[in-house]
Amino acid sequence: MKELTTLSSGAAALPIPLWLCIPFAGLLLCIAVLPLVKAHWWEEHQPLVAGFWALLFVLPFAWLYGAERAAETVLECIINDYLTFIVLLFGLFCVSGNITMEGDLAGSPRVNVLLLTVGTLLSSWIGTTGASMLMVRPVIKMNSWRRRRAHIMVFFIFLISNIGGCLTPIGDPPLLMGFSRGVPFFWSLHLLPMMLVNMAVLLTVFYWIDRRAYCKDIAAGLKPNISKAGTSIKINGLHNLIFLVMIVAAVILSGTLPTMSMFQTAEGTVKGIHIFGEVTLGYPALIEIVMILAAAGLSFKTTDPEIRRKNHFTWGAIQEVAVLFIGIFITMQPALMILKTMGASLGLSKPGEMFWVTGVLSSFLDNTPTYLVFLTTAGAMGFAEGMSTSLGMVPVAMLEAISCGAVFMGANTYIGNAPNFMVKAISDENGIKMPSFFGYILWSVTCLIPVFLLDTLLFFL
Amino acid sequence: MANINEEMLRELAERIYDLDAEVYAQLGSSLGRVFNRDRERCVEELTHRMMMRDEGHVVRSSLALISNMARTISDKEERKLVMTEYNRILQEVLSLQTSFGGGDVLDKQLAQLNTLNLKNRFAEKDHLIICIGRTYGCGGSEIGFTLADSLKINYYDAEIFSEVLKRLEAEKDSVEDKAGYHYRNDGEKKQYTFEERAFTAGKKMTLAERMREFSRYHGLSKKDAVFFNQSDLLCEMAKKEDFIVMGRCADVILTNNRIPHISIFITAPFERRIQRVMEVDEKLTYKQARNKLKRLDRQHVGYYKFYTGREWGNAVNYDLCINSASYGIEGSVDLIRRMISGGEN
Repeated sequence: MKELTTLSSGAAALPIPLWLCIPFAGLLLCIAVLPLVKAHWWEEHQPLVAGFWALLFVLPFAWLYGAERAAETVLECIINDYLTFIVLLFGLFCVSGNITMEGDLAGSPRVNVLLLTVGTLLSSWIGTTGASMLMVRPVIKMNSWRRRRAHIMVFFIFLISNIGGCLTPIGDPPLLMGFSRGVPFFWSLHLLPMMLVNMAVLLTVFYWIDRRAYCKDIAAGLKPNISKAGTSIKINGLHNLIFLVMIVAAVILSGTLPTMSMFQTAEGTVKGIHIFGEVTLGYPALIEIVMILAAAGLSFKTTDPEIRRKNHFTWGAIQEVAVLFIGIFITMQPALMILKTMGASLGLSKPGEMFWVTGVLSSFLDNTPTYLVFLTTAGAMGFAEGMSTSLGMVPVAMLEAISCGAVFMGANTYIGNAPNFMVKAISDENGIKMPSFFGYILWSVTCLIPVFLLDTLLFFL
Repeated sequence: MANINEEMLRELAERIYDLDAEVYAQLGSSLGRVFNRDRERCVEELTHRMMMRDEGHVVRSSLALISNMARTISDKEERKLVMTEYNRILQEVLSLQTSFGGGDVLDKQLAQLNTLNLKNRFAEKDHLIICIGRTYGCGGSEIGFTLADSLKINYYDAEIFSEVLKRLEAEKDSVEDKAGYHYRNDGEKKQYTFEERAFTAGKKMTLAERMREFSRYHGLSKKDAVFFNQSDLLCEMAKKEDFIVMGRCADVILTNNRIPHISIFITAPFERRIQRVMEVDEKLTYKQARNKLKRLDRQHVGYYKFYTGREWGNAVNYDLCINSASYGIEGSVDLIRRMISGGEN
């Protein structure tokens, strides 16, 4: 609901010049290039850079549309989009950081395939962010004896942080938005064949890449410590799973409560705390935030700090994501506004087109509003048959294409989905040299795009 | 000048390694570190990289990873100390860009292990270790056995495998020795045993057996678990005694662990090997013997490549390659003995 409010707010109705997207492109370019050319400077000045590009959007926008509208646009995006986004990430980051796995399972191609499979299947039930945060440390730990590890984390992002989240509305936020627009909770299970095909292909590719890297590591004399006969695995802080469930429940509530009459005004808008102009922090969002923060607080209170120490728990990763994504959220507003006004006029009428356009835009923009724009577009086409949603009748093939595009292609870039950057940041902090922004895109172009082409041939033509 | 450079680089490499160790200790993390091997090997590798102009970026990249971790140390004082040392090291590494040492031989120790420089290869404390790789049917096992006998040192082939099984607490029937052709020499009777099992794929297992195997071998395949344990065992043995070891990628394992050894590869023309295999096993027809040899060679190439990244039988990887058909068993033993003793009879 909140995303639609953002897009239907006043500013979006006015024509937005394309040049207002320059700050967004500038920020992306900085994220891509500065870590390569000025790594230390970049680490210390990320808030300045994000602030600079945000201002570069806000000031011309205020000049064109008035300070009030600019303030409203920024506040709308911070209060209704960014706040819930970062609180969810924060909560999952805290809770998963309090669970540690001790054991001597050695990272090998088949163990890694097993871990990626488990994580991918888990993503739909605790969210891509939840599964990513839960699995990232065990994966890093088991592979700590190896030198060539970056590809493991890249496929981790592909599968656990993105593709695995397609089966339920809990998996990925766009599907939650679909759920709150009338798409049945278990409808997303229709996407199981697509997910299985993607998993099968990607895990096979991964196995061979990892096997090659594994052989190189062994040939270089690296070996895991398996001196003790038999494997023992012990998970500490397991009670935090309760808090994880609490966070998942908060996310589900944030999708279901806005549709209940007690949370709606007479005009049908969501009740909440008025902030400024048309900006309101809805009660459902507030409930979600309170529940998540309570879960994080309780998790910290009830867990031995030694577990966090063993997990190398630091605030660095979440801090980096928080800083960069506030800049991304603000600067991408004009792009989203343009998309909103132009979405219907793009002439997309086939599932394959919807899959690719939703996907490519989701790779760089927030996939939730992108999903909503194209769901709205499809709903307004006047189809007589298909899935009945509050936005109109949407043919099942079209809905599948939009859902898959938004969920799968978030894996195309580090900024395509929130957990992508978190996984990168945590890996960076633990001795794994992750690919650069463009290096990662090269991985997605070579490994993911062929899989998406296969999806198009099999499911969306 | 090159020596001064190398000493300086080694010292710098030691400081980089110590910095990583310090950061890891401060963090108390269990998620791994940048240099996850023993000090000596990491230092050597770092020194080597710094000497190579085109690999300097790898050192800088490793340093960046250490600094990523160092920035997360919660104790401010400790973080300051570590970062100060990091900055010092970084400046020194950056200043090396134009003064990296050249030199013909970048890794002298590796070179010593791989040339016929036997005279200086073994220090007084080192044991004489001879690694023999051989093709099936060339008489390599017999040469190894006879050589060990004449040098009065231990001969290891299947014994290593048995020891590894003990370590893994594995049932003998469930694991196959994939790294050698077992050879038995009981006085008069000399023969290969279990030859059908060498390098062969394991039998089909039920799900319950797979689960048991998964748990027993730390998630690794049996083959890998056996290999890693064999590696550990070989390195331990190398500290204690002189011996001859047959196959098992021992040459590469010892090279990787910087343990001085002599590596020898023994083979013979294909037709001669067929002939010998048919002599040892009279039941085999020519066609069966030929197919068996081809299959074993193919599997051996794959095994060696998988664990070492090298081409099995490639002459550049060995100190000495022998065509046993040209010298015979006794002649080959004599040749190896003369090589070891520096040409003296």
